[in-house]
This record gives sequence, structure tokens and C-alpha cells, in this order.
Amino acid sequence: MKLIAVIFFFAVHMSWSQFDRVNSFSNNKWAGGQQLEKPQFFILPWQPGTQLVEKETNLSIKVDSLGLKPVKALQDSSGTIIIYVSDISTPVCADGDCRLMDIRFYWTLLGGYAGFDSYQQSPLTKHDHDEFVYADYLKLHQLLLDDNSILKRRKVDELVKKPQVSENENVDAVAGATIKEVKESVVSGALYSCYTAWHIVHGVVKNQIRELTVKGLSEDQLVSMLSVDNPDYQIFVLKRFSKAQYEKNYKQIAAIFKDGIPLVRSYIVKNVPSSFWENETLQTPFWNCFSDLDINSRSLLLEKIAMAPLTIIYELSKNLGVMTKNQLKQYLNHLSNTKGIDKVLIESLKSFADDPNETYNYLVDNFLEDYVE
Amino acid sequence: MNNEFKINNMNMLFRLVLIITSCVQISAAQELLVEAESFDQPGGWVVDPQFVEQMGSPYLMAHGMGEPVANAVTSVEFPKKGEYHVWVRTMNWAPGDWEAPGRFGLTINGHAFENELGKRSGWGWEYVGSINLDTKTAKLELIDFTGFNGRCDAVYFSSKKISPPSSPKNLAEWRAKIAQEPNKPAKSEDYDLVVTGGGIAGCAAAIAAAEQGMKVALIHDRPVLGGNASSEIRVHTLGIYGHFERILKKLDTEHYPNGSADAKIDQKKRDDNVKSYKNIHLYLNWRAYDAVTEEETIKYVDARQTKTGERKRFSAPYFVDSTGDGWIGYWAGAEFSYGRESVDKYGEDWEEWGELWSPEEADNAVMGSSVLWGSKETEQEQQFPEVPWAMTVAKKYQEINGEWQWEFSRNDLNQIDDAEEIRDHMLMAIYGSFANAKKDPKNANRKLEWVSYLVGKRESRRLVGDHIFTFNDAKAGTKFPDAVVEETREVDVHYQTVLENEKNPDFISEALFFKTPKYYIPYRSLYSKNITNLFMAGRNFSTSHVGLGGPRVMRTTGQMGAAVGLAASLCKKYDVNPRDVYVGYLNEYLKLIEDQKYLKIPASKQ
Repeated sequence: MKLIAVIFFFAVHMSWSQFDRVNSFSNNKWAGGQQLEKPQFFILPWQPGTQLVEKETNLSIKVDSLGLKPVKALQDSSGTIIIYVSDISTPVCADGDCRLMDIRFYWTLLGGYAGFDSYQQSPLTKHDHDEFVYADYLKLHQLLLDDNSILKRRKVDELVKKPQVSENENVDAVAGATIKEVKESVVSGALYSCYTAWHIVHGVVKNQIRELTVKGLSEDQLVSMLSVDNPDYQIFVLKRFSKAQYEKNYKQIAAIFKDGIPLVRSYIVKNVPSSFWENETLQTPFWNCFSDLDINSRSLLLEKIAMAPLTIIYELSKNLGVMTKNQLKQYLNHLSNTKGIDKVLIESLKSFADDPNETYNYLVDNFLEDYVE
Repeated sequence: MNNEFKINNMNMLFRLVLIITSCVQISAAQELLVEAESFDQPGGWVVDPQFVEQMGSPYLMAHGMGEPVANAVTSVEFPKKGEYHVWVRTMNWAPGDWEAPGRFGLTINGHAFENELGKRSGWGWEYVGSINLDTKTAKLELIDFTGFNGRCDAVYFSSKKISPPSSPKNLAEWRAKIAQEPNKPAKSEDYDLVVTGGGIAGCAAAIAAAEQGMKVALIHDRPVLGGNASSEIRVHTLGIYGHFERILKKLDTEHYPNGSADAKIDQKKRDDNVKSYKNIHLYLNWRAYDAVTEEETIKYVDARQTKTGERKRFSAPYFVDSTGDGWIGYWAGAEFSYGRESVDKYGEDWEEWGELWSPEEADNAVMGSSVLWGSKETEQEQQFPEVPWAMTVAKKYQEINGEWQWEFSRNDLNQIDDAEEIRDHMLMAIYGSFANAKKDPKNANRKLEWVSYLVGKRESRRLVGDHIFTFNDAKAGTKFPDAVVEETREVDVHYQTVLENEKNPDFISEALFFKTPKYYIPYRSLYSKNITNLFMAGRNFSTSHVGLGGPRVMRTTGQMGAAVGLAASLCKKYDVNPRDVYVGYLNEYLKLIEDQKYLKIPASKQ
């Protein structure tokens, strides 16, 4: 039965390929080798009026039974590559029932998933042939954003039946949890489409694009990548910055520290050159956003407290309430080693210690008891 | 540095003081200290000894999952009749702008005090009130008001209204002053091998050594064996059996979901099997508190009964640290590591995951601890109270069961020193998420069935051996000449998802899997580099942070235990130290491992 269905699929496909399918691929967002509008689902910034032009690359994606699909670069008017794109048409088969999935994927300069467009004339469909609705497309987008999806480690067959328990079970998870995770992450009724899409987006092309970018990387491009609000770009650039580049771009780096994700913040505070912590001007912007930071970044910043000027120490005393227990201990420990603490700061500590609404007032009370009184 | 200072302080506190009997008459003054864990009848309160090294003592906790537990009762003998002021040592574990979750009361001879207890931030003394006692014997009762983890460490009576100190520094001095306890435990016992920590690794070590005829002490601070695999924590065992299938099948679990009540079945199997060895002397509910070393050789381990406070000294020529946290090694002065090495230290890079896998700069981040839990459908509607104190952690997250992803670590929290805060954070996550789920009508009949109160740790101290096992050993599948443990499980390292998005709950983790060939752990990773007679088995073996990612699961750690148990028997046979087995008796050791796979047929049946 399955064999018949597959034969039927290829027969249909052969007949399709007799015709020019350009029409079903056309979309007013992109025409004549130009990208004129922001893709439907997209994670990078897109300025209004942006027009990107396709450029051939030597990359392609091998699609089951349909050969190679070219991966193209999309570059701006100055010739700078902004993203990569590929128009994919791939068979998706489930229980012998095969359909074509048409979709246009976008990748970042580092090969990360950037977004997708569906085709107006060829929407994605589920196993029961119902067309995707907006929520389904959004869920697919969320799935593709997860580069560590459970789909990565499992064969598709394992995802549709209860996984077998074996002594060699290789994951720190269980059947129930796995099934739940799959259910939560894929579009209901479209497991095979989701699986196929995920493995195309996160397949070998990912590294190939990254290598292409690294190969042609210029200093200007490095700096311009830093201004893109994308954690992969930020860490990629910071890993390659020299001490001089760190210092030259310190305002931009401080801005990323303030607004970036915790992982990027942690990288910054751990890896900025030591000159930052020896210079009041360079380090002050970091301390200024202390109360807005996530706990992990705040902890890493507090590890630099020994090099902070006294003005920062005093300023931090206004933020005792946002500190965790151990952060407060670290701050107080620093105070106990600091000479010349003035009365204003002591009064500020006393008022914190007396405030019944402050969770860790007792720590300050103990500190005052041990070191001051 | 700060943490080490704290631990040293607490260790000193143990050596110098600690109240060991249920009632200690402190001085000629009318004072009395009653340790809560020594109450005659704990009722529904549980003894929690997990954080002794940090807050000073086991304590009683009302772990009722939202339903007040039965009273804890004891009777005490006072030095004199008369008026006493009363304090309890307690802590509000979720302080904030709401009613404390763990409120409780105290009655003395039926007299209830007005003050609700369990309301102060941080461990310390809360004043209960005063009472005039016209008899020297009194009945104390702890009354739980909430079912949400109220805790009581001790009750203190004094004819003077002077509160004992609360700051750790001053409390240590106060306790040192009042303790009447000599440094050395009154009782000593001699063994061939002392194994501390009755998780899967410790049990396997004890069995393997006992089968070779050694007289073994197995010290474990819980009433049941298995550690993370026990029915108290309920993580299923993963990994392969390696050379030790026969032994490990006595100890491991089925592959049920983490948190499953099926853990109770395997619990019975495990306890029965270990108890069947006549030469394993099992010390359940005993917690080690010191390892005394001379010339880099451990002479004895001191331990204390978690309820009665009785102490014992365990002497042996060889010791196994299977505490998970590396306590024996730590007390003995063994080299250890904690946190993530820099990527360059051992070259453990995985470019795809970069900083999440191995950071450019070393840091204190480690894989987190889990607290497992579950709920069940019932026939009737079930109420669950509002838990405002949990919402700063749970936020809007809804869930009805917890799995391995329920995991918490943060770089300002040490998995050992801050384990109580980590556990409490998870309790807030659990109660809050369940309360959120209960607002959904489909969960109207759902009832919280089980919440562990024990921290299921993945990573803490790692004692340093002659070889430090790394990710590269796993990737290369290096076949060491002294390979005694083997594994096929992927190396998986966890991180908190909040690192990628601040909107994610901070108590949910993600795993990164690296597929490796079959890999091997050398015997040299299973004994201390600088403490001459110390073996280690379990997550505290000699490994890097990433290296731990694969073999941290319990069949693998069980292999480690069995391997060191056998090595210990050779140490005894030739009167040599663990390193000498590698240097001089490796072939015999490997043959012993091979030979133990199948029990010999008794001569009578041949």
C-alpha cells in the first residue's frame, strides 16, 4: 500500500515537473531575484524600504528525490550580505501519503535560523490535508528557533510511537517526558513536515553558511554585525575583537550588556579586557545598569567590585534590595575590607537593616554587629 | 574563599560543639536546649539533615504539601521549676510581603503561645513567650499551621530573657561555650573499609568489598539507600552495567518516569540486598561530620546519628567517599574542583554550543539540582491553597508534574553551601506552578501527591585523582590500561534556559547531548591524588565539569563504586594504598573484576 502511494507520489511529481512551477513560487515579497519585504516570520531587524538582491553561492541543499536546491545570499545595495535564503520544495511522507512542502527558509550570516516565508499558492498542510493556520505557522517558527529541539536527537519513527525502553537508553529523560516534549513543540497533525523542516534548517547547510561568512569576514562587517540585535552575532564578534576594538566600541558593548540576553552579558563581563576595570569611564556604564540585570550577570559584575571606585560602592548601597543573599554577602564582605566608609553609607545600611520588608535585612544587621558596632 | 571560610567555620563548630543529646542542661542557670530532631514523636514532621554543615543541625520540617501535618511531641526534664522564657530556632524560608508559608506554634503542657513562629528571615531565634512551670517535666508540642515546610531546629528555655545570638559567628561561639561535648566520640569501631554515602555508588562499593570478605561500614544519612535513586528522590538509574551487572542489578531501578512511586519497589529490592550481606554494617540515619587525617592519611571518620545525636568514630585503613559532595575528601584536605573549567584548560570545546558548553573563562556555574514531584487525579474536587509566597519564582508557569528539567542552579549559589536555598527555590517553583495549574478547571480534581524535600544534585565537588577524566577521554573513547568503568551514554551537559531568555522560568533546564563512542574511566580517577587511602565513587570522582556530563548517571557511578570496592580488597590483601593497585597489581585487579562477574558455584554443588 505504501509502495503504491510512493509510486503515485512520484508519478504526480513527474507530471508536476513537466510544468513551470514558478507561478506557485511567486510572491510579491520577492520577485526577479529581489527581496522586497520582511519575511513573514523573521528574527533579524528589517528596516522599512530594505531591498535585498539575490546572489548565487556555491551552496545547496540536497532534498529527497528532488535534487539540489540552491542557497543564495541576499545582499543590500552596498553589496553586503545580510542573510541567506533557499526556496525549498521537498516531499513529506507519512504512512505512505506523500505531499510536497514548499517553503522559503532564511538563515543568518552564521547559519542560524532566521525565518521563513510560506507561499500564498502553496500553503503548508497537515496530515489530514487541512491547511496551516497562522498559529500553526507561528508554532513552526518557534520550533525552528529551537536549535536544540528534541527532533534533533530522534529519528522520526521514534517520535510517533512510544520509545522502547532499553538498558542503553541514552537520554536523561523518559518516554512520557519525550512524548510530552514532542507534542508541545510540533504542529499538531504535522509532525513529518515539522521534522523535515527542522532538519533542513539545522542541517549541514548551517555550518557551510557560517564557514562562508568566516571566510569573507572583514573588520567593517564584524563591527556592523555587533550592531545587529542577535546574540549569536554578538558573541561571534566579541570573541574576535581585539583589546583596542573592545575599547573603541565600549559604548556599544555597554548597551548590549544592558539589553542583551543573560548569556551575552555573562560573556561580556567575563571577557572584556582588564583595562575596563581599571578605568572609571569604561566600567561605569556597566555598574549603572546593575539593578536591571539578571541575577547571574549581576553576580559576575560583583566579582569586579574590588576594582570599582568608591562612588560605585556608594551607588550600589542604594540597590541592596535587588541583591540576592550571596550577592549582598559579597558586597558586605567588600565593605568590611574597605577603609574610610563614611557615615552616610553606615546610615543607609542601618536603614536597610531596620526595614522589615527587606528579606535580607538580617545580613546587614549581622554585618553592623560584627564590623561596625 | 568566602564559602570555604564558612565551611571551615561550620566544621569547627561540629568539632567543638553541637548539641548531641535531646536535652542539654547548659549551666547552673536555668537553661535548657531541646533539639527538635530528637523529639520523641515527630508526628508528621520530617527530620531534615541535609544542611547541617551550613545551618548547624538537623531540623524538623512540616512537609505536608499544603496540609498541616500531625504534631511533633516530646517530653523534657527541666532543671528547676519556675518561669522560663522560650525561643525557637527557625527560619521563614520564603520571606517577603506576605504571610510566611511555614508558620507553626508551640505548646507546653497544653499551653499555647500567642506568637506564631517561622516568620524570621534567615536561621535564628524567635521569641515564643514565657511560661511558669510548676513541674519539672513538661510536654512540648510543635503545631504546624500550614503544611508548607515550617521548620524548627531547636527550642531554648532560659530564666533570663536574653536571646541566644543569631549571627553565625556569634552563634558558633555561643554553642562552643555551652557544649559539654568532648572532641572525640565516646564510641569507636574498626573496619576494613568505611564507605560514606549510601547512594548507588556507595552501596556498590560496600557490596563489592563485602563479597571479597572485607568488614565494611556503610554510613548513610537517610533511612533508605540509593541516594538520588531512592524512593525519597526518585531519579531512575541510567547508563550501562559495564563489568558489574550482577552487583548493579541488586541496586538499580526500572526505567520508570522520574518521580514515579515505582521507586518504592526498587527501594525494597535495594535495601534487602544490601542488608543481606552480613559483613556490611549499615549505619542508616548516620551523617558523617569529620574525617581526621594524619600525614595525608585518613585515620577515621566521625559520624552522628541524625535524630539522637549519638556519635561514633569509624576507623579503617581505607575509606570511600561516595557522599556526592566529596565531604570526606574535603574534610581530609583532598584536592578538589568546583565549577566549570575554562575551555582551554582541557580543550573541551564544542563550537556549536560555545559558552553554554564550556566557557572561555572559568566560572562557578554547574549543572543544577532537581526536586521531583507529582500529582494525581482523584474522584473528588481538591482544594489547593493560595501560595503568594511562591509566585515570585513560579510566576505564571503551570505544571502538574515535575521531571528532570525541573532543575535549578545559579552562579551565586553553591550546590553545597546554598543547597537549602536551592531546595526552597524549587519548592516555591513547585507549589506555585501547581497552584497555577489548579486554576484551570480541568485540574479541579487533581491533588498534589508527592513532593520530594531532598535535593537531587547533579554536580558539586569533584575530588582530584591521579587522572582527571575529561570530555576528550569520552570523545576519543580512550582505552586506558586501567579502564574499569565503561559507558556508552552521550555526554550531556545541562544549562538553565533563563540564560537564553530572561522570560523563561529560572527552574527549568535544557540538555546538550554529544554523541560519543563507547568510553572508559580509568581506575586512576577513582582515588585521591593527595590523600593516600581515599577512594571516591559517584559524582565526586575525578573529572572535569564537561567530563561529568556523561558518567554522572547512576549505573555508571555504581560501576565506580564496585570498582573501588574490589580495589580496596586488593589494598587489604597486600597492605598497600589505592595507587599501588594501579602501579603494582593492575593485572590481578583486572582479573578480579573479570572473575567477580559470575558468582562461583559452591564446592558442595560442583
